[in-house]
Amino acid sequence: MMQMSPAPWTRLRRALVAIGTLAVLYGIAAQIGQKWLPHRIWMDVHYIDDVELLPTYRSLGEELVFLLQSGILPSSIAVSTGRILIGFFLGACAGILLGMATGRSRRIEDLAEPRVTFLRFTHALALLPLYVVWFGYGEPSKVLLIATNVAVVTLLGAHQGVRGVPRVYLDAAASLGADDRLAFKKIVLPAALPQIFASLRIALGLAWVTIVVAELIDAKMPSLGYLLALAGAYPRVPTMVIGIATVGLLVLAFDLLALFLHARATRWMKRTA
Amino acid sequence: MKNATVKRSLLGLASLATLVAAYTVVSNAERFVDPVRFPPVLRDVLRPEVIPPTQSIAEALIALVTGPRSDMASEEHAHAGHHHAHSDHVGVLLQQGVTLQRSLLITVGRVLFGLVVGAPLGILLGFFMGWNRRADDYVHPLYVLLRSVPPLALITYIMLWLGHSEAHRLIPIVYAVAATLVIPAYHGVRDVAGTYVVAARALGARGRLLLTKVLLPAASPDLLAGLRYALAIAWMTAVGSEMLMAENGMGNLIVGGGMWASRLQTRSDPAVVMVGIMAIAAAGFVMDAGAKVLTARLTAWIR
Amino acid sequence: MMPAGSPRVRLEAVDVGYTYSGQTPTRALEGLNLSVGDREFVALLGPVGCGKTTLLRMFAGFLSPTQGSVLCDGARIDGPSSDKGYVLQENAIFPWMTVRENVEFGLLAKGVEPASRRAVSDELMRLLGLAAFAEAYPKELSSGMSKMVEVVRVLATDPSILLLDEPFGALDAQTRAMMQDELARLWEQRRKTVVFVTHDADEAIYLADRIAVLSPRPGRVTANFPVELPRPRSLETRFSAAFSALKRQVWEAIGQSVASNAPKPSPSSSH
Repeated sequence: MMQMSPAPWTRLRRALVAIGTLAVLYGIAAQIGQKWLPHRIWMDVHYIDDVELLPTYRSLGEELVFLLQSGILPSSIAVSTGRILIGFFLGACAGILLGMATGRSRRIEDLAEPRVTFLRFTHALALLPLYVVWFGYGEPSKVLLIATNVAVVTLLGAHQGVRGVPRVYLDAAASLGADDRLAFKKIVLPAALPQIFASLRIALGLAWVTIVVAELIDAKMPSLGYLLALAGAYPRVPTMVIGIATVGLLVLAFDLLALFLHARATRWMKRTA
Repeated sequence: MKNATVKRSLLGLASLATLVAAYTVVSNAERFVDPVRFPPVLRDVLRPEVIPPTQSIAEALIALVTGPRSDMASEEHAHAGHHHAHSDHVGVLLQQGVTLQRSLLITVGRVLFGLVVGAPLGILLGFFMGWNRRADDYVHPLYVLLRSVPPLALITYIMLWLGHSEAHRLIPIVYAVAATLVIPAYHGVRDVAGTYVVAARALGARGRLLLTKVLLPAASPDLLAGLRYALAIAWMTAVGSEMLMAENGMGNLIVGGGMWASRLQTRSDPAVVMVGIMAIAAAGFVMDAGAKVLTARLTAWIR
Repeated sequence: MMPAGSPRVRLEAVDVGYTYSGQTPTRALEGLNLSVGDREFVALLGPVGCGKTTLLRMFAGFLSPTQGSVLCDGARIDGPSSDKGYVLQENAIFPWMTVRENVEFGLLAKGVEPASRRAVSDELMRLLGLAAFAEAYPKELSSGMSKMVEVVRVLATDPSILLLDEPFGALDAQTRAMMQDELARLWEQRRKTVVFVTHDADEAIYLADRIAVLSPRPGRVTANFPVELPRPRSLETRFSAAFSALKRQVWEAIGQSVASNAPKPSPSSSH
């Protein structure tokens, strides 16, 4: 297990090889599938013809071009991403502020419990029908759903972050004459950042999962969920695959961004090798 | 410190009771006060269809627990002139023979299945990646790509292959659990277990002994924490998959039966939704508490 | 570099070099030659970061040199074996096992049945005063005791070679002295071939038959000192004139080796 750690470009090379191999294998599988997989499948109540279970790169390419040119894909991405961003921002603000409050003051925490615990165990998606009843179909219910989920996660993160500040830091600050507010601003907040950022990252992943399902259930054009739902209803497999891939890539992009911001914000932390 | 915890829980219960009482008052507001008195905004919100009165919630709960029998009972009531009809939502569910207990049991079953099957897969993959730097370089990027896809997004695609079958609903759960556990296992092997593995190998251990007596115990704190998290993920995926694609289980109960895109068309009865949410929360809480106990037991050796 | 009259060479490093690849390749070892004779107690003495651990890992079979070779009984070392007991610098006692289970682990790996395992562990623990802690978990032990258990654990399989990497480094002065005595006493009873890594000159002189001084990175052996103090060694030995004389020699040697490997102009980043 004691291996030399290889140079970064070796790792990049291996990563590319792995991805490339997968891509090639898929291409081969798709070609084989053209011949051997059934093209006629049973969909609940009737048969559908001309289904490509493993779409070839060619079909995917054609479909992608169509989706881009018609503007369907870009607008879907824009709408879904927009919902995520708004909901995330709302939820994160609420969650972090509340979490810091409960972390800082036992009294506030006692007030907030057990509602917070209850919220923690409230299913991320179960609130959707409730929100739909309260706020009707469309934007508000979805955005609020995301906001709720994000808030719950970030609340926990902020709470633990504030609580987890090592006592020694606080004692040192006190002995240096800092009052509570200064200590909070300059010591507790920075020390809590790693936890907060970690929870932000988790919340982001959760937001994506939520939006996809919410859009699948309450499908309206244009959105990524709708794209998937529509593709599923026909079914148009290449669209489905492209939709899935798009979601995956967006999630990945956001996740990497979150990682990057996390690293930036906690630059001063000692990195374990 | 026992006193403090007792005091805390009493406080919690008290605040909960207050909340329930307050809610009952608010939700029944239009019984006490003429709605015209309210500003229009509040008037919209305080309708029983939007904020279900506590009694309706209780009724829905009872109806869902007792099942189809209560449907007949309500018909009798209606015949006898009692204005006491179930909402569409409950009606549809009762017609389908859905009860709260059965739905809960089914969902719990799916969650457990996902854990039992998905956990070993994820853990083994994580171990494999963490053990061998080379394998890690190749496999890790693929893992990152694949886990970025939300499992529920795959559900329509899987349906093409497997149709409406149980496997079709279970695969996203297994997938989600496995993907979640890869990282803790990976971390456990790479960062935590390294020293112990070296010492063990120097003592002559290899193969199965190394895995069961050294690797697993060393990684177990991380694994168990990951398991608790995977539990939450399994719940989320299970209910989500039921909301989308199943005729049974809690997800189905909440969304109100019906198929696919017409799901939200059924007038959802918020009382039912609330019953569902609370039931899920309760079940989730219990399972999480169980996981906490298990973790404490298995890691008693930690400093 | 073999002391006269030594029967055979057990461990040998021939022109060993080791380079860490990465952002900036670091030469940990270069042109290192060392021979360890049968039943010889050799101390590897050198400042922090001179590659002592790397060399020991090579002897233990966990690393291969990038240049040169390491040999055991004349053959190339290609992996760990239970005939070479290896005690790491870090805490490696298995916290999920009792002390007894820890001690018996090597025997378990060899497939020895429970009864014989118990006999061996009983004997060893009695010998080192650990019997009272047999069923305790490591979290109840002090760090000194933990280390002792690790040493005992390694002895259970009765290896003929012991590789110890600054085992007493994290202990306080009193405990360290006590552990050194224990180790010396053990070695008196069952003479093994020992390579003992340390950065403490006192410890090296007290325990070893021979001291090999390593230079800072890139490490190589710059001096060899036979330690001709009488055995068994005791507290008096530490304060004897011969001890002090030897200590001065060793310090001078270290000083020279540090000077000769003066820091290079480019800033070196610690890993």
